[in-house]
Amino acid sequence: MAPQLIIEYIYFSIIAIVIGFIIAFYILTQRGGDRREDPTEKQEEKKGMEKGEKRWLIFLLTILVIGNILMLSPILPSAKYALWLEDEPRLTITIEVKNYEFILPEKPIRVPAGVPVEFIVVSADLLYGFGVFRKDGLIVFQMQVVPQPYTNRIIWIFEEPGYYDIRSTEYSGPKHPYMYVPDAIYVVGG
Amino acid sequence: MNEEERKILSIRFVVVSLIFLALAGLEGLLMRFRILNILTEFFDEKHFYSMMTAHPFVGVYGWAYMAVMGAFYFLVPYILKKDIYSKKAAYASFWLMLIGTLTVWTTTFITHYAPLYTLYWPIPTAYEIIGWDIHSILFFGLGVTLILGGVLVFFANMFATIFLPLRHTDGASPSPWYVIRELLTTAFNLDKIKAKIKKTPEYSAKAFNYPVFVVAVFRGCVDTTLNAFVIGGVGLLLTIFAVSHMIPGAAIPITAVDPLIYKNVFWWGLDLIADGNVLIFTAGTWYLIVPLILNRKLYGESVVRTVILADLVVSLFVWNHHMLADTPQPILLQVQGQLFTWGELITMGLTMFAVLATMWFARPVKYTAPLKFVLASIVGYAVGGLAGIIQANYASNRFFHNTQWVIGIHGHIQLLVGLSLTLFAAIYALFPLLTGKALDEKLASLHLILWTVGGLVMGLSMGLAGTLGMLRRTLYPMGLGPYEPYMFYATVGALMLGVGFIVFLVNILKTVKISDLLKIVFSSKY
Repeated sequence: MAPQLIIEYIYFSIIAIVIGFIIAFYILTQRGGDRREDPTEKQEEKKGMEKGEKRWLIFLLTILVIGNILMLSPILPSAKYALWLEDEPRLTITIEVKNYEFILPEKPIRVPAGVPVEFIVVSADLLYGFGVFRKDGLIVFQMQVVPQPYTNRIIWIFEEPGYYDIRSTEYSGPKHPYMYVPDAIYVVGG
Repeated sequence: MNEEERKILSIRFVVVSLIFLALAGLEGLLMRFRILNILTEFFDEKHFYSMMTAHPFVGVYGWAYMAVMGAFYFLVPYILKKDIYSKKAAYASFWLMLIGTLTVWTTTFITHYAPLYTLYWPIPTAYEIIGWDIHSILFFGLGVTLILGGVLVFFANMFATIFLPLRHTDGASPSPWYVIRELLTTAFNLDKIKAKIKKTPEYSAKAFNYPVFVVAVFRGCVDTTLNAFVIGGVGLLLTIFAVSHMIPGAAIPITAVDPLIYKNVFWWGLDLIADGNVLIFTAGTWYLIVPLILNRKLYGESVVRTVILADLVVSLFVWNHHMLADTPQPILLQVQGQLFTWGELITMGLTMFAVLATMWFARPVKYTAPLKFVLASIVGYAVGGLAGIIQANYASNRFFHNTQWVIGIHGHIQLLVGLSLTLFAAIYALFPLLTGKALDEKLASLHLILWTVGGLVMGLSMGLAGTLGMLRRTLYPMGLGPYEPYMFYATVGALMLGVGFIVFLVNILKTVKISDLLKIVFSSKY
């Protein structure tokens, strides 16, 4: 399953809990007898943290540490290829973008599956985007295409053979929606 | 300026901000239909993108900023029991915001100039490649400069109101150095460091003596002032560029600006809106409304003050999360952007905790309209904020960047369910103070339900389409394919938002006469 779909399931589970919590909070806070004692009212100008606040802070810090470790670890392919890959790219493909057009070295670009491939994209005029999409519309990877003198590079390993589309992922003027090349990449099974 | 004049000024800001909200909402709805490839005969891509350019300027500066300004011009003097520092500056900020926003809107509407709010170099200036009129760059640049000029005048007036003794009380103007010193000392917590070095037991900074709402106001003002310098600077740059291209032989080349450095500076400035206006002003409004209505001290107030100032440091270093897909950007900067962005989880998490704990210890709570709106806005911030934390990672940005996830779940839920509900809460709370009449509670509840559910349905549907790969800022003229059902539900959510807003207007017009409101808006001296 694509990593974004796994993230989506986790996210929707969490927000279901959050919305459920707020609804329960709304109901529960309308009930109860006398006004509860507020710990902050016992001590005027208390400088330190309350016990509940400390526990909440520790919880948030734990989430922060775990979240960052996971997101920078090789679990996600995008982190793996950018931060952890030791192999040099087997193939380098250079694509030029000019006047709202992707100029491909060949069509389709044939790449082998399972090996690191480097895409170099240069823009001669505007700022564009470079995104590779599966045939069902799911995004595989993308990067911004900052115009020259900058060179934009990304390394990717295609796991699944088949055709892939290229689309500009950044607005660059009203002609931007037409920057779409179907079947631009053909991944040959390894 | 007496209290009556401040009330009139505040009402004027709020009325105009609501008109801009209606305009931004109408634009949003039309764009939703256009994304579904409906109304294609009425507006082409050029028109669509010019609308998309105007939409955030009208929504953020016309609605959110002007509503905040209206509320703060009344509340800050009310809380501090002192007058606004400068009456002329207060009215100047109103007119600059109004004229600036209208200039941006009319320029994009008439000329179809469409660089979008991102203004990525060289797109706003590439008129020869894209086919825009050079005059449209000039007017757009002037409009942006006027808006941000209005923002700067407002914040200067707020700082002066908070920090300075009134001119007419001692007859003398304080020196500029005094203003700068107070500003830096309190905003950057320098007094605390000074106290530690000198081993003095008490802080000298006035920040620690002010109500927590006021601390949040001037803290948010620091971010939004820096933002105004950057975005206003871009407006000025576009104006100068356009003028240079109208004078033979003086044209500034597009290559005079480095696109990557520009993008860094631009996002550093632009993200400060998110922190200053969207997060901190909201937090400040919660800190004011909740304890005031519950007649209760804010839970953990001393910690909250520290959190507000700590968030300033975080906010200055998060801009790189907008540039995680820019591969020429050094990777260390990108990882730094990710780590600092997670810091927002701590600061906003503690803020929400303080508000919810204050309510919890005040049981049994009688929920009036402002309190209900605050509680629902917390849902908006939790749902939108969590999506923001997820997308602001180096790895996940590869598939979330520039998708409907970013603008739907994060952007629109944060702005519509988070920020807008907080602003509505402030309007419901301020309305009796400004007009002497209270709004209908049942209609307020209906407004809340329609707006919250509509905002969530729209934002979450957009997010689901984003996960499947649907891009933001992109029309799909060849068909939406798998994204189409999600865009349909997003349109249903947008319609619910519209109906919710109409219910709110009905509530206002049922309570006060429209002729009285118009008299206030148009008949005062300035």
